[in-house]
Amino acid sequence: MSVLSDAALQAPPTAKARGYWATVGRRIARDKVSMACAFILALIFAAALLAPWLHLADPYQGSMIRRLRHIGTPNYPLGTDELGRDMLARLIYGGRLSLIVGILPVILAFVIGTSLGLVAGYVGGKLNTAIMRTVDVFYAFPSVLLAIAISGALGAGIVNSIVSLTIVFVPQITRVAESVTTGVRNMDFVEAARASGAGPFTIMRVHMLGNVLGPIFVYATGLISVSMILAAGLSFLGLGTKPPEPEWGLMLNTLRTAIYVNPWVAALPGAMIFAVSICFNLLSDGMRSAMDIRN
Amino acid sequence: MFAYIARRIVYVIPIVISVALVCFLLVHITPGDPLVAVLPADASQELAAQLRSAYGFDRPLPVQFGLWLWRAVHGDLGNSIATGRPVLSEVMRAVGNTVMLAIAAAMIGFTLGLLFGLIAGYFRDTWIDKVSTSFAIAGVSLPHYWLGMVMVIIFSVQLNWLPAVGAGPGGSGAWAWDWEHLRYLILPAITTSVIPMGIVTRTVRALTGDILSQDFVEALRAKGLRETEVFRHVVKNAAPTALAVMGLQLGYMLGGSILIETVFSWPGSGLLLNSAIFQRDLPLLQGTILVLALFFVLLNLLVDIAQAAIDPRIKRS
Amino acid sequence: MRNEKPKTTAAAMALAFALGAGMVPADAETVLRIGMTAADIPRTLGQPDQGFEGNRFTGLTMYDGLTMWDLSSSDKASTLIAGLATEWKVEESDKKKWVFKLRPGVTFHDGSPFNADAVVWNVDKVLKQDAPQFDPSQVGVTASRMPTLVSARKIDDLTVELTTKEPDSFLPINLTNLFMASPAKWQKFYDTAEGADAKARSQAAWAAFAKDASGTGPWKMSSFTPRERLELVKNDNYWDKARVPKVDKMVLLPMPEANARTAALLSGQVNWVEAPAPDALPEIKQRGFALYSNEEPHVWPWQFSRVEGSPWNDIRVRKAANLCVDREGLRDGLLAGLMVPATGTFEPGHPWRGNPTFQIKYDKPAAQKLMQEAGFGPNKKLTVKIQTSASGSGQMLPLPMNEYLQQALAECYFDVQLDVIEWNTLFTNWRRGVKDPSANGSNATNVTYAAMDPFFALVRFLQSGMAPPVSNNWGYINNPKFDELVTKARQTFDPAARDAALAELHAASVDDAAFLYVAHDVAPRAMSSKIKGFVQPKSWFVDFSPVTIVP
Repeated sequence: MSVLSDAALQAPPTAKARGYWATVGRRIARDKVSMACAFILALIFAAALLAPWLHLADPYQGSMIRRLRHIGTPNYPLGTDELGRDMLARLIYGGRLSLIVGILPVILAFVIGTSLGLVAGYVGGKLNTAIMRTVDVFYAFPSVLLAIAISGALGAGIVNSIVSLTIVFVPQITRVAESVTTGVRNMDFVEAARASGAGPFTIMRVHMLGNVLGPIFVYATGLISVSMILAAGLSFLGLGTKPPEPEWGLMLNTLRTAIYVNPWVAALPGAMIFAVSICFNLLSDGMRSAMDIRN
Repeated sequence: MFAYIARRIVYVIPIVISVALVCFLLVHITPGDPLVAVLPADASQELAAQLRSAYGFDRPLPVQFGLWLWRAVHGDLGNSIATGRPVLSEVMRAVGNTVMLAIAAAMIGFTLGLLFGLIAGYFRDTWIDKVSTSFAIAGVSLPHYWLGMVMVIIFSVQLNWLPAVGAGPGGSGAWAWDWEHLRYLILPAITTSVIPMGIVTRTVRALTGDILSQDFVEALRAKGLRETEVFRHVVKNAAPTALAVMGLQLGYMLGGSILIETVFSWPGSGLLLNSAIFQRDLPLLQGTILVLALFFVLLNLLVDIAQAAIDPRIKRS
Repeated sequence: MRNEKPKTTAAAMALAFALGAGMVPADAETVLRIGMTAADIPRTLGQPDQGFEGNRFTGLTMYDGLTMWDLSSSDKASTLIAGLATEWKVEESDKKKWVFKLRPGVTFHDGSPFNADAVVWNVDKVLKQDAPQFDPSQVGVTASRMPTLVSARKIDDLTVELTTKEPDSFLPINLTNLFMASPAKWQKFYDTAEGADAKARSQAAWAAFAKDASGTGPWKMSSFTPRERLELVKNDNYWDKARVPKVDKMVLLPMPEANARTAALLSGQVNWVEAPAPDALPEIKQRGFALYSNEEPHVWPWQFSRVEGSPWNDIRVRKAANLCVDREGLRDGLLAGLMVPATGTFEPGHPWRGNPTFQIKYDKPAAQKLMQEAGFGPNKKLTVKIQTSASGSGQMLPLPMNEYLQQALAECYFDVQLDVIEWNTLFTNWRRGVKDPSANGSNATNVTYAAMDPFFALVRFLQSGMAPPVSNNWGYINNPKFDELVTKARQTFDPAARDAALAELHAASVDDAAFLYVAHDVAPRAMSSKIKGFVQPKSWFVDFSPVTIVP
């Protein structure tokens, strides 16, 4: 965690944003691992997005006679699940919900947490204390416990798991945003802007956002992997998506009864979660080192 | 040092009270009947009302919170609705089992993490580094509940080497430190150790790399300092941060064990939380969350103090 | 992969053998180790929770009721027999009073005598609010199962008088659910308990009693690890010498996951599991384990809405639905044999079955004809909405089974919409009824029920007065004939005549197609082939006493 934020705090030293981002872009493009990950993620996103046009089997249509077919069965390249539904179709359709439930909380938390952190960091004083002490309370819970406690209280459901994960991530992003903002606020170029008569709103919008967003963004991409795992974990416990919707965590849960009959089909949804999660992690690493000008 | 400790402890008190409030509110905003565990759906409304007042659920929320907090301060978290047993003893026994699992996992994860991290940091950008970092990144990206399931498939279902679930042939009450019991600990401990292994590896690698690339290390080496001395220097400088990360990870293992304990039916706090959630056992639910959060707060406090003891610079900030 | 199995199995067996050899002591104490489906050990203080599985494992083992179920046969229906009461009859002059003669010479596990005082004490523990032993946590599960019982009075040491709110011939059947805990043992805990007031001390005493319980049953508690393990040993002094257990010890382990139970059985961790994972049945059989199942007094139905505007108000539609389902196909396909097709709440052979004229079977042409008469056809489908949940106690495989019905009924011009909600919500709505907003516009609900007792099997669904919020007449059935037959059965006190009246009520409900009857559960269990003498009755309960383990 601290490694992540330490590196994330390596803010671009000057406000010459365009040249900086171009350099970063070039550096990422040269990183083979990051590019491979980006490609895999793009593939998974495209498949999930275009699922209805891929001529897949109906992910909801089951059949008692073709339950738990093995991987490689003709017509069912990835086998069938415990209700005889096509695994390939369910994995691809499942990506839609899994990606939404995994990524949306991070986006929401990014928006909310950045706003809170910017305000706290820029305004300082009592407002800072109020925001940051509230954040501390949520930090007193291990994130998995907090997510499960909130979901357990709100009850199962997609919206509820998005809400609970957002609540888990907001404090983390707020903290990063606040510390970056505080750091940037005292830098020369902000002082200069202030001296030239720019109002606080303009300063926050033009100068700070640009220099602050980068590190927070990198931090947030790192959270996507955690969020994917947690979101699927909630469904795996029965606190997330409800059947019969295809979703990777839930599929993993319902297929557990099949591990004696067809173990590797049962393991497939987890492999998808793993793939997405590791790709986001590697991509986030790649971005971070691309933004780290020292190297 | 004592002033620092005192300051940290005073700072913790409002956190603890807020944490208790969050626990209580979380559990009580819940829709649904708190007595579902003892009240069959076929019970009459009259009976339901009678029981609701017998359990005190008909009182206003602030009163319920006050009473709960007052008793909690006196070491009484109430009785579980489903079992009638005192919540505190239920939770403490479960936490004991979780601690056992967490420590076993920490021993595996921290040892491997330190090892991989040091090697990777020393041999940056060589193939050893690449292998270690790959392990680390896989570790932090793995859905560990899935890993647990896969391990059960391989080692229990296919090979039949290790038991799939439970804490020993006689349950945790009859735990003994022999092979017959340790067999039950292996799969859940390895599964739990994967994330801390990854995170510790990454931390230690970064720390080691940073320290070794500093100018004065070059200077020391140029002065003819032996490598063991350089290593000591690395350890000394990396220790506070590494310790903090490991402390935090131990906290996560204690508080976030629900997924793994569910996969392996390990009778710890996570499994308890799971059954409290699904039985809607409110006293047990809020008690378990509270105790786990307090453990986490306490652990953070200890880590802070230990860090300050090792590195006096921290106290000043 | 299938081909490799024997090799792995052999290796596993060898390993299990090697490990097992170290565990069994030389004098070969025989131990039943049972994986239950419950998530926690059912309460041990006399009135178990966890439904009838609780009664099976921590009720009927350690305790007895005044009346009991005959669990000795696998073919006959399980009927009521004498327990701690040897005989009982209603007072001719006042049909609200019953006299129970108690069995002489019975003692609790702690040595104290079982007598009329003990019966009164045990009735008071759930019904008399100012009794010191009154325990609200036991009231819910007990009082709801004996809705008319009001109080008990001692006549002499071995005679008790029980009073009901209204004349109720079902009382002796209800009393199978009231277990006799030892007042002497409890009093001992109460006297030494700490607590601010009498209520707190009573709670503490019950908590202590739960850890060191005492009843009159064939098994005694020997050790208890909450949530993990309960050990019972045989009671050599059991009053029914024929039912002194043949096995020394029984260990009960909660294993809510079907996979976990199955794995525990296959690896030798336990030698008996309840409800093994259906998909693992071939593997279990192949490895030489024994499988048992039998029809259970359990019904998996759709319960119809009968309020104004419900499509189910037309009896032709109700009958068509019942005729359109191939229950045998469901049994042999999805459920791998683990269900009995339902043709009513009770099947032929049951004393409460009666002779319905409407034969429930698979007859698609007849069903289609009925639907056409009712004005529907391939181009004019009848839309019905069913509420169900993805899981839940006794629900078997709710989603796949409902999807099966959806497909089957589509052939008879039904357009079935499934509203899948959380089990708790479904269960709560079952009580609130179809008019409650939580029913979400559905016109049938899918909550399974136990049919042990006439009140729970029939009355609460069929009597108009049982409509919400009183009880589970979810769809507001209002049929004067049912009401009349309920009253008749309740007020017929000769057991044979009462059974006949119940049979008449049941036949009337089938003839009216009051439910879509789909399946009865069969309580599958798998056990080591070394376990002999086990008889699985047509009941939720089993008798562990005759079971033996061969070396």
